Amino acid sequence: MQNSPTRRSVTAGLALGALAVPALHARSAKAQAKSVKIAMIAPLSGPWARQGQLLRQGADMAVEEFNSQGGIKSLGGAKLEIIYGDAGDNTEKAKNAAQRLLSDHPDLVGGSGAWLSSFTLAVTEVTERAQVPWLTLSYSDAITNRGFKFVFQTSPTADWQAAETLPTALKLAEHATGKRPKTIGVIQDNTASPVSFGKYLREGGGLEKVGLKASVDQIFTPPLSDATPLVDKVRSAKPDFLLLLTSAMPDCKLVLEKLDEFKLAKGKMPLVGNGAPFGSPELLNTIGPELLEGLLFSVANWPLKGQEEFIERFKKRTGEPFATQDALCGYGDVAILKEALEAAGAADKLKVAEAIRHMNLTTGPAAQFFPGPIKFDEKGRRQDVPMIFAQWQKGVPLTVFPEDRALAKPFWPSV
Amino acid sequence: MRTRAEANRQRWAILAFALAVLVLSFVLLKSAYYQLVLTQVLLWAVLSLAWNILCGYSGYFSFGHAGFWGLGAYTVALGMMYFDLSPWISIPFCALVGAAAGAIIGYPTFRLRGHYFALAMLAYPLATLYVFQWLGYQELTLPMKREAPLLYMQFEDPRGYVVLALGLLVIALLISLKVENSRFGMSLLAIKQNEPAAEAAGINTWRLKMLALMLSGALAAVAGGLYAVILLVVTPETVFGMLVSAQALILALFGGVGSLWGPVIGAIVLVPLAEGLNAELGDVLPGIQGVVYGVAIIAIILLAPEGVYWRVLDRFSKRAPAAEPPPRLAAPASNIAPLPRAPASSGADLLVLRDIGISFGGLRALDGIDLTLPEGGLYGIIGPNGAGKTTLFNVINGFLASDRGAITFAGEPITGLRPNQVCRRGIGRTFQVVRAFPRMSVLENVIVGAFIGAATEAVARDMALAALDRVGLVDQAEKTAGGLTTRELRLMELARALVPHPRLMLLDETLAGLGHDDLGGILGVIRQLRAEGITVLIIEHTMHAMVQLVDHFTVLDHGRLIATGRPQDVVRDPRVIEAYLGKKWSDRVAVPAK
Repeated sequence: MQNSPTRRSVTAGLALGALAVPALHARSAKAQAKSVKIAMIAPLSGPWARQGQLLRQGADMAVEEFNSQGGIKSLGGAKLEIIYGDAGDNTEKAKNAAQRLLSDHPDLVGGSGAWLSSFTLAVTEVTERAQVPWLTLSYSDAITNRGFKFVFQTSPTADWQAAETLPTALKLAEHATGKRPKTIGVIQDNTASPVSFGKYLREGGGLEKVGLKASVDQIFTPPLSDATPLVDKVRSAKPDFLLLLTSAMPDCKLVLEKLDEFKLAKGKMPLVGNGAPFGSPELLNTIGPELLEGLLFSVANWPLKGQEEFIERFKKRTGEPFATQDALCGYGDVAILKEALEAAGAADKLKVAEAIRHMNLTTGPAAQFFPGPIKFDEKGRRQDVPMIFAQWQKGVPLTVFPEDRALAKPFWPSV
Repeated sequence: MRTRAEANRQRWAILAFALAVLVLSFVLLKSAYYQLVLTQVLLWAVLSLAWNILCGYSGYFSFGHAGFWGLGAYTVALGMMYFDLSPWISIPFCALVGAAAGAIIGYPTFRLRGHYFALAMLAYPLATLYVFQWLGYQELTLPMKREAPLLYMQFEDPRGYVVLALGLLVIALLISLKVENSRFGMSLLAIKQNEPAAEAAGINTWRLKMLALMLSGALAAVAGGLYAVILLVVTPETVFGMLVSAQALILALFGGVGSLWGPVIGAIVLVPLAEGLNAELGDVLPGIQGVVYGVAIIAIILLAPEGVYWRVLDRFSKRAPAAEPPPRLAAPASNIAPLPRAPASSGADLLVLRDIGISFGGLRALDGIDLTLPEGGLYGIIGPNGAGKTTLFNVINGFLASDRGAITFAGEPITGLRPNQVCRRGIGRTFQVVRAFPRMSVLENVIVGAFIGAATEAVARDMALAALDRVGLVDQAEKTAGGLTTRELRLMELARALVPHPRLMLLDETLAGLGHDDLGGILGVIRQLRAEGITVLIIEHTMHAMVQLVDHFTVLDHGRLIATGRPQDVVRDPRVIEAYLGKKWSDRVAVPAK
C-alpha cells in the first residue's frame, strides 16, 4: 500500500469528524512537481473488492517499476502518479468516483477501470465528456458501441468471445482426441455476461455454425440452492462436453461438486467455461485442485509465455499463488498509458488519446501483457486478438492456447 | 391540519430552500463532482418524500419503493433506446407508470396491515428485478446524443441537472404540503393513528390508501426517471435493489417521518456523508464507509428516535414560553347554521335486524338476533361479558360481516356495507375503548368525522366546533387528544360521531370507567341527543345507570337475545337475573314474584 502520511491523517480526521461534518473534500494536492497523473477506478469495497484489489496490485507494481526505471523518458523522466477511485458496489458510486477524480484532478492524462461492465459504462460516460482516454478490461460490447472516442477496450468483447470460444474449444478437442464433439450441454446463470453469451449461442446461430446440438440447456437465477436438477439432466443426456457460464463462485462450486457426486467430474465430462473467475485462486481454495483438473476456460487475458519473470515478481510481491487477468490488465493498462505518454511526448490527455489511437505495439512491456498486438480500431476495440484458453493442470490454471504464447500443452479429458 | 398562515410560512420556506440550493450550485460550488452529489441529494430527497406521503402520513410502511423508482428509470431508458423518446416526454409519463404500478400493487396488498404490508411491499421490486433480468435488460445505457443534447436532457453543464432535480423536489414539497393541509392528509393521519376509528368516522380508508400509494408511486417513478438520465446506465440491481428502498426509508426515518422537511434533512445529511466516506475511505480501508454510515444512523436513532426534525422541533418548542394560553376559540355563534333537526320521532322502524348470526370458528357469537328499533328512542343493550354486545355493533356498522341475516336502516338494506358507507347512511358509533387519534388536537379529532358532510375545510371546522359545543368540550378544542381525561375522551368521541348528523348513534360502553361525578355530564349529553330526535342504542354493563336512562332494554347472553322490554320488567326477568347472577339468584327472585 502506498498511502502518504498526509492521506492517513486526513482519513483519521475524517473518521472522527464524519458524524458532524460530511467532509467531501480534504485532499491536499501535494503532487510532486514533475509527475504525470493517471487514474484507476475499481471496486475496492463491496462484493467485487477482491478483483479491484488485484487490478490495483498490478497497477501499483507497474507504476513503481516504471518509475524506478526512470519514468517517462520523453518527458524528461517524469514520474507516473496513479490515483485510485473506489467504484464500490453500484453504478452510482462508480460514476461519482469518476466525477470526483476528474474534478479533483483536472490534469489527469488517462485512466483505467472499472472492472464490472455496468460500472465501466457509467464511468466512461463521465470520462468521455471530459475527453480523458480510458482503458478497460470489461467485456461488454455496449462499452464500445456508443460511438465514444476516448474509450479503449483492451479485452476482446463479449460477443466476440462468445463467437470464438466454441470453435477454439472444438479445435482443441479434435486435436487431442481426433474426434469432433457433436453435442454440448449448457448450464448458465441469468446475469449480464452469461445472458449475452447464451444469446449468441441460441439466437445468434453460435451452435449451428459449429455443428453442435445442445442436449442440455439450463438457465438458472443465482444463487443456486441445489445443482441436482441441473446436473441430473447432464447425467441423463450425456453431452460430449459441458459449457459452464456461471459468474458467482458458490454456484460454480455447487455444480462442480454435484458433477463429482454423479461421477462426472475429474475428466469424465469435459468442462469449458468463460471468464476470469474460472481461474481465480478462490476457486482453487474452495473447490480444490482435483475437481478443477482439466477445466478449460476462455478468457481475455492470462499469464503468457514471455511473462515468466513478471509472474515470479508478482507472486513474490503479493503472495498470490499465480497471476490472473485482473493483475495482468492492471499492469498492462498502466503500460499502455506509459507507452502512449512516451509517444505523445506531452502530458496532455488529447495527445495521449491520439497516441493510443495510432498505437501498434508488438514488443515492449505493453505488448508483453496482452496477447496479440496493441492496436485499436475506430471503435476503440483491439484488433487481431487471439482468444486465450487456460486449463487447470495440477492446481494451476495455465494458458494452453494460442500455442505460440502457451505455458503448457492442453489436454482434452477423455470421455 | 395547519392553519393557512402556517402553510404560507412553509411555502416561503420552500422558496428560500430552493434559492439556497441555487446559490449553492451557481455561486459556491465550482466542481462538477459536487454538482453531481448535490443533484443526487435532491433526487434522493424526492424519493424519500414520495415514500413519506404514503408511509409517513398513513403509517403503512413500504420496503418496496425501489419498485417505482426502477420502473421510472426503465421507462426512460427503454423509451430512449427503443423509441428515441426524449426524457422531456418520458419523465412526465413516468408519473402515469408509477401511479398505475401503485394501483396494481395496492389492490392486493392493502388487504394486509402493519408488518405484513411492509414485507409484502418488499417483494415487488425484488420480483420486478428478476423480470427485467429475464427480459434481457441487464445493462441499459442511454445513448449519447451529440446532435441535439438539450432535446434529450443531456446538459454540458451539470447545473442543468441540479435545476431539474431541484424543480422536482420543489414540486414534491408542494405536493406534500398540499397533502398535509388537506382533508386527504388529515384522513391519512387518522388512518395512521387508528384505522378502524377513521373508517367508522366515515373515511373511505381503502380509497385514500390507494390514492396515497398511487401519488407516492408516481413521484418516486418520476424521480427514478430523472435518476436514469443522470446516471445514464440502468441495471436492475441499481434501480430495483434493496438499497434503493432502504435509502428512501432511512432518509425519512433519519430526518423525521411524517414531516415535510424530514426527508429533505435526511438526504442533505446522509447522502453527502455516505459519498464523502466513500470517497475518502473507500480506497484506503475498503468497506469502512459502510460501518461508519451504519454507526451514524444508529447514533441518530438512539439520540433522536423520531428523527432529527421532530427532535429539533421538540427542543425548540420546549424553550418557547410554555404558559402561552391557547388561542380562544370563538364559540360557534350565529355564523353557524343551526343544526338541521333530525326528523321528529316518527316512531317508524329505523333499524331492523333479522336473524343475524355470526360465528368465530366453533363459537356462535351471535345467533338468530331479531331486533327492531323504532326511530326516536333510547335503547339499551345489556348482557354479561362475552354476550355478543360489541359484536352486534360491529356487525351493524360493518366491521364484521354476518354469516346470515339482514339489516335494514331507514328502509334500506345495509348488510355488507363497509363501515364508512354505513356511517354515511347516518349511523355513528363510539367504541368500548376510546379510539382517539392521540397526536391530533381535539378539534382535529372531530373534524375527521366532518369530512363526510362538509364541502370545504372551513365548513368541516365549523361543524366540528358545533359538535364540540354540543358535548360541552369546546374549551378543550386545541388540546392534544393524548392529554384528555377519560370523560373528555368519551365526549370527544361522541362529538366525532355526532358531526355528520347521524340518525342513529351506537354507543359502546360510553359510561364505562367513569366516576359518579363524570357520569352525570355524559348522561345529560345522551339525554339531550334523544331530545334532539337522534335514536340512541347504548351498550352498558352497569344496570343501575341504564335503568334510569333508557326506554327499552334488550338483553343478550351467549349470542342470543334472551329478553326485551321496559327496563323495570326486564330486570325482573328470571332469565336475565340468571344470566347476570346465576341460577341461585334467579330462583330467589322468582319466589316473591309469585
